[in-house]
Amino acid sequence: MIKKISQFIRKIQIGDLLTIFVFIVLTGYLSSILWNFPQGEYLKIQMGAQDIGSFSLNQNSTKIIEGPIGKTEVIINSGKVRISKSPCTKKYCIHQGWINQLNQTIVCVPNQISVSIIGNQSDYDSLNY
Amino acid sequence: MIYNKLILLLILFLTGCYQNETMQKKDYIFGTIVEVTIYGETEEKSTHAIELVFNEFRRLHHYLHPWEKSIIQEINQSIKNQEIYTTQDTEILTIIKHNQELELKTHGYFNPAIGNLIKAWGFHADQFSEDRPNSILIESLRRNLPHMSEINIYNGYLESKNENIKLDLGGYSKGYALDRAKKILAENNINNALINIGGNILALGLHGDRNWIVGIQHPRKPNSIASISLKPGWSIGTSGDYQRYFIVDNQRYSHLIDPNTGYPANNSQSATILLPPIESSGTLSDVYSKPLFIASEKLKYKIAKELGVDFYMIVMADGKISISRSMLNLIKWHEKIDKKNITVH
Repeated sequence: MIKKISQFIRKIQIGDLLTIFVFIVLTGYLSSILWNFPQGEYLKIQMGAQDIGSFSLNQNSTKIIEGPIGKTEVIINSGKVRISKSPCTKKYCIHQGWINQLNQTIVCVPNQISVSIIGNQSDYDSLNY
Repeated sequence: MIYNKLILLLILFLTGCYQNETMQKKDYIFGTIVEVTIYGETEEKSTHAIELVFNEFRRLHHYLHPWEKSIIQEINQSIKNQEIYTTQDTEILTIIKHNQELELKTHGYFNPAIGNLIKAWGFHADQFSEDRPNSILIESLRRNLPHMSEINIYNGYLESKNENIKLDLGGYSKGYALDRAKKILAENNINNALINIGGNILALGLHGDRNWIVGIQHPRKPNSIASISLKPGWSIGTSGDYQRYFIVDNQRYSHLIDPNTGYPANNSQSATILLPPIESSGTLSDVYSKPLFIASEKLKYKIAKELGVDFYMIVMADGKISISRSMLNLIKWHEKIDKKNITVH
């Protein structure tokens, strides 16, 4: 048995090692970024009645949305979202900070922008506030 | 193995169906977000019904607007000029009469005649200023507090001797719009729908084989504090200090002004009520949350009882929760609530 294993190890070449190494690194990397995010969770941005779009939460990027009073900046940072710049005077939307859970929403009423985390399964159909 | 694949396939189909079962549209009306969700109808039928509802919302927004050109503004101008306001519009006379009754029923905690006070606090603007008004001005407005009962309504005209009356139906119009939407959807044979106007929600029928479920916003956190299942026809309304407010010197000033003091009420963070499908329940879910938010802690529960509000939850200024027994039985908490911080009535 031990003989067989040592024979096998001796047959391993540099290319095999490289393949195994790449495989391990890739598995580690993908599981670290994908593990925490249930599939189907994404970010939905709306301006007034208009759907601006839906974006994967699993990315680092900045979206600029043009509203009636100016530009609102939304930052997506692997799983969490915040409004970072807004033309409104109160900046409640910015003060709200990061959201990262299903059905959490940030609304900037003056600029008519809403940013919600949506998933396939939801705890509720609508929000009372 | 083959079973796993089958189950996976089944789940894929299920989610596929789920997405087609409801149709949801949002728009920006009444200075807030309105949302209508319809269950189990064709896209064509749903789109048509939602369009009719949104058109009605836009009509009401312009019709009842407190500070832009509207019939309310015309009436306010006539009262200010001490003129008789003649109109053939029976809808507005019915609305004003209803507001008169509601002021009496709520012991004046709901008082839509205090537009001058609300304006003095700066809440008559989409982008309101962050200034505390002059305390002398507030005191004089409070001392001459007008009442709805000072408006005399006749067949085809109205008048008032009190020029201090300035109607502001901001606390009534969204609830009224819920009742109108209910009627329009029924006329269009839509039996299962959820209407949300700036957080005030009315449920019609069911979501498939279950009740509609709504989340209740936490007054100080970005997430929901709880959720509740709305039986067919039920509505939910919240008055809170976290949507329209400003902060000066670490003091929060919300748009919910106590007519007795002339100052924003500050003993609660939010008051949520649930109403069964009674006459004008949409309107009442909007109006009746106000006395529960504004009145002193002792009076809140007495007024709830008088108004027949059995289901309520109030988050007090210190974050503690006062909840009725019936509400507690229905509510599903989304966070752990310490028993010490909850009082059951």
